Amino acid sequence: MSDSNNAVIEVRNLTKRYRSEKALDDVSFSIAANKIYGLLGRNGAGKTTLMSILTAQNFKTSGHVSVFGQSPYENEKVLPRICFIRESQKYPDDFTPQHAFRSASLFFANWDQAFADRLVQDFQLPVKRRIKKLSRGQLSAVGVIIGLASRADITFFDEPYLGLDAVARQLFYDHLIEDYAEFPRTVILSSHLIDEVANLLEHVIVIDQGRILMDDDAEDIRGTAHTVVGPAAKVDQFVARREVLHTERMGSFASVTVSGVLTDAQRDEAMALGLELAPVSLQQLVVRTTMAATESDFGGTDRSAETLEVSK
Amino acid sequence: MNRAVNVARMQLINKWTFLGVPAIVIAGAFAVSWAIWALIPDSVETQMYSGAGQAVMWYFLVLGIQSLTLTFPFSQAMSVSRRNFYFGTVGLFALVALVISGLYVVLGAVEQATNGWGVNGIMFSFPWISDGPWFEAFIVYFMAMVLLFMIGFWAATIYKRWTVTGMVILWISVAAVVLALVALATWTESWPSVGLWFTQQTPLTVSGWAALTCVVLAGGSYLTLRKATP
Repeated sequence: MSDSNNAVIEVRNLTKRYRSEKALDDVSFSIAANKIYGLLGRNGAGKTTLMSILTAQNFKTSGHVSVFGQSPYENEKVLPRICFIRESQKYPDDFTPQHAFRSASLFFANWDQAFADRLVQDFQLPVKRRIKKLSRGQLSAVGVIIGLASRADITFFDEPYLGLDAVARQLFYDHLIEDYAEFPRTVILSSHLIDEVANLLEHVIVIDQGRILMDDDAEDIRGTAHTVVGPAAKVDQFVARREVLHTERMGSFASVTVSGVLTDAQRDEAMALGLELAPVSLQQLVVRTTMAATESDFGGTDRSAETLEVSK
Repeated sequence: MNRAVNVARMQLINKWTFLGVPAIVIAGAFAVSWAIWALIPDSVETQMYSGAGQAVMWYFLVLGIQSLTLTFPFSQAMSVSRRNFYFGTVGLFALVALVISGLYVVLGAVEQATNGWGVNGIMFSFPWISDGPWFEAFIVYFMAMVLLFMIGFWAATIYKRWTVTGMVILWISVAAVVLALVALATWTESWPSVGLWFTQQTPLTVSGWAALTCVVLAGGSYLTLRKATP
């Protein structure tokens, strides 16, 4: 498939309305082939709605969506190349995981049964137990295994870690990276456990209240924000005229998160003022950006509104 | 179309749903009926009827509902188009209904040949239905099963798309239409001719009406399903 500028998904001015509420509000972005994307945001931000519309499981209110250059709805050229197991996926009443995997082998051309078997072992999934009797974690494992072993050209993972313990989550991340290296494909991972997945992601899209807040390569994001810590007066002096994402004060000390890449000169300036500079993790950045957007939504344009929370 | 066939195969992966359970229902219903016939003293010389043969048909109504509420969302996760899900599912049900109808006709013949399973019982070859040639009974059984499945399937598509509101409006509308027809027959004093019309129906005409209803329900459920979300 020769897709122009390598994009496998194009979204333009997509809006989804549920009665009066806008689940997605004029969203535009594109997804390039063979990259791992993080679709990050709070619960109810619109992540699942967005993925449902991209896979033609749900319907847009207005806007334009194309997958492999075509509309995905009822499209036999597009659908077989996508896999989207939702977080609350339903299964036929009497199905066991084994039945579900056999179904997947009927519909996904690249299905790898040996790989699925290995994943079953790793996740210690009881394949002969009815799906409705499985625990939350085991249910997530069923979805993760279908998503990985189907090797669809575009694979969506919708909060795949719910109920999985730390070991199982790490297994998922490891398998994803390993298999992705061997069989490159486009992966879109929705998550709110941002720190855990931060190292997997090549590109990050942050969505909040149906709007895109951030759409950048992970490389570019790292280093786009810093926390400045030191005596309040000096911190204020340093951060003046910068975009402040977050401020914390404790007595005469302040810790301020500012966005923007720092030049060497600015680093020297901070050093001269006796200020400490710390990089901001992706999770911190997403949280601060989301909160700043929410605050400005409520009319408070004063993004540096002081908070009195105690922090390290 | 290959994927529509796979939708049917997917629903046969668990052999119990479409093969095991219906077989048990038919065998169980027959065993219970036979035991009751055998218990009734032989002095009664009349034939004894059992309606237990319809048990499996009601199971079809349940399957029709479940295929929409559970199998449809799963088929969406399997990246199956709504069109292929529809044709695969309806096709599979038609096939199973064909097999069971054939089985009923064969059992009906055995029933007549064995003088009602040796105990004068009737479960598969009812008068009126089985009076004509074998294919008449076959068509009646087949249409009854498909109709029940389509009713379940259609009601479930309405539920899937418009949830409880849809259900309430649907059944109120059905009740309103029935009431309107009753009122119409009463006001125009046409009950005698209505009664006459019913007595004039044959197994084949009844099947014809059922087929017509099925076509309407099939079309309606397809159009509703086209816009349904899992």
